[in-house]
Amino acid sequence: MRNQTETMIEIKNLVKKYGSFTAVNGIGFSVNKGEIFGLLGPNGAGKSTTLEMMVGLRKPDTGSAIIGGFDIAKDLLKVKEVIGIQLQSTTLFELLTVEEILKLYASFYQKNVLIPELIEDMVLTEKTKSRVKTLSGGQKQRLAIALALVHDPWILFLDEPTTGLDPQARRTLWDIVLKLKEKGKTTVLTTHYMDEAQVLCDRIAIMDQGNLIALDTPSGLIKSLESDSAVEFQYEGNLLTQELEQLDGVKQVGKHKDTYVLYTDNLQETLITLIQFTSEKQIQLTNLQTRTSTLEDVFIHMTGRSLREE
Amino acid sequence: MKAYWQLTLSQLRIFLRNRQVLFWTLAFPIFLMIMLGSFLGDGNGVSVSIGVVDQDQTTLSKEFSKTLGKIETVNLEPIDSKEKALAQVKKGNLQLVVVIPQGYENQMMDAATTTPFELPIYYNETDVAVSQIGMTIVNSVVDGISKEKANYTPVIVTHANGIEALDLKYIDFLVPGILAMMIMSNNMNGVAGQIAAWRERGILRRMQGTTLKASTFIAAQITARLLLNGMQALIVLGVAHLIYGTQVNGSWLSLITFVILGTLAFMAIGFIIAGVAKTPESAGPIAGFLSFPMLFLGGVFFPIRDMPAFLQPIVNVLPISHLSHALRETMNVGTSFMDLGSEALILGGWLVGAFIVASYTFKWE
Repeated sequence: MRNQTETMIEIKNLVKKYGSFTAVNGIGFSVNKGEIFGLLGPNGAGKSTTLEMMVGLRKPDTGSAIIGGFDIAKDLLKVKEVIGIQLQSTTLFELLTVEEILKLYASFYQKNVLIPELIEDMVLTEKTKSRVKTLSGGQKQRLAIALALVHDPWILFLDEPTTGLDPQARRTLWDIVLKLKEKGKTTVLTTHYMDEAQVLCDRIAIMDQGNLIALDTPSGLIKSLESDSAVEFQYEGNLLTQELEQLDGVKQVGKHKDTYVLYTDNLQETLITLIQFTSEKQIQLTNLQTRTSTLEDVFIHMTGRSLREE
Repeated sequence: MKAYWQLTLSQLRIFLRNRQVLFWTLAFPIFLMIMLGSFLGDGNGVSVSIGVVDQDQTTLSKEFSKTLGKIETVNLEPIDSKEKALAQVKKGNLQLVVVIPQGYENQMMDAATTTPFELPIYYNETDVAVSQIGMTIVNSVVDGISKEKANYTPVIVTHANGIEALDLKYIDFLVPGILAMMIMSNNMNGVAGQIAAWRERGILRRMQGTTLKASTFIAAQITARLLLNGMQALIVLGVAHLIYGTQVNGSWLSLITFVILGTLAFMAIGFIIAGVAKTPESAGPIAGFLSFPMLFLGGVFFPIRDMPAFLQPIVNVLPISHLSHALRETMNVGTSFMDLGSEALILGGWLVGAFIVASYTFKWE
């Protein structure tokens, strides 16, 4: 087998259209060996479509993708040997046991890892002989990742691995992903949870409406806000954002329903002028709090919309 | 190769663990066979119920009744009044009523009379076939008596020899039909439903993301279904043998060959349906739309020769007709595989044609 290159993934100008709707609009980036790379964005941003084009499940209209040194358009079979995938909303054969389904998927490949060890790594040892339908959501998701690892791939693609899981199950899964990184695996994952992206990812590509709108490390993205703090409060009336922007230190004002967020690089000054402003106007604020900026703020800053629109 | 065995094994496990499907796919044909077999099983022999109204009540008239009663196919019922007897005919309980009027013996004893004595016979016009048989029987009895009276020596006689070539009952017709029905519905409906559901649930898509080849997947699917169908066919044959003593007169090899041919042909049609159906919900009705008419037209329950003439050309191209015919010939008559060559060819044609179409319509997602 050829040497693993430093650059594991190199994609250029990927475009996918469904009729007149452009799902992915000219995306390009590269991922290095051993990196955890996150595709972050709201539902319908084109994250899954991008991922599915990278693993050869969808044909891009234009653009190219080199995965593990192989071109998906020419060497798809070789690409499949070096990648492991976990797809969103995949159901498995419910009537097989954990061990049986792993053996089944292992048989599809030339190279295999030891199944008992894999089961242990995925914290599924107790469930080895249990049927898939008896597993919890988190266990099913870990089994899906185990299936992606049966042939010891270089690169792992995880499509929303923690969606719908409880906090405990999410943390178990994060640990697994971080351990895989220690083993030298490269991971590409999509998510719409900022905390997940912040904890797991070395670099994050933010997608919105088929476009790549930012690509950096989590801290780099937050720095780009040029405002390290946020003041958040609720008010059940209409405040003019223009007036709020006039307050000292405020860089930007975000509003979602009755929640207002002021982004500032000078928390103290902003708070003082906000209190003065509200007492002059006799405005009653509730839930006033301050915090450091997060990836969610980055997203709001860049798109003017929340990541998870209710 | 490893993938092929693992997939076959997994598919068999899924079948065997899906108790409900397993039970009903077997219970339905067996239930149908027992139902139809018990109600219509002995439809071979014809019997005629004849009512006799003896108004004469003499030695000779009693002798007449006795002669009639001796005939094997006749169920003789003495009835005391003509009105009652006619009512029974109308109800359909009797096919024929013979009235022996008063004065029968007197006339018979009086050798001098030249005018023949008349015996009125009443029959049910709606059941002509059986009534005709009854008339013939009564006529032959009457004929015998008059010949005896006239001291007539026949110049020529027939000597009837019944040849029992094959003791075939309706159940013998039915069992191969049930077998054909099972092969059709398990494969056509089964494949269509399962593949469509697996596609919908993303199972096929996930497999497409591996190095697994579609041909391996399909080959394993076919193998598992062949094994399962073989087992089910044997169970149904076993039940039929235990309850009704059904036999396989022909060679088992040719029977198995036709089971395999039928399985493959209907599976290929199932793959087409799975490809055409957009959702698993629509796969069921499409398969039903195709299998339902085939059940009634394909010679499963009724012989094809009983179908109206305009349907015959359609019926003769259906794969199920050839499958049920071939199974029937092999099991009942023991026809050799060579003599069923055209059946095998037509089924083979369906198989190849359907697989070609299926390969164009098959989609992983």
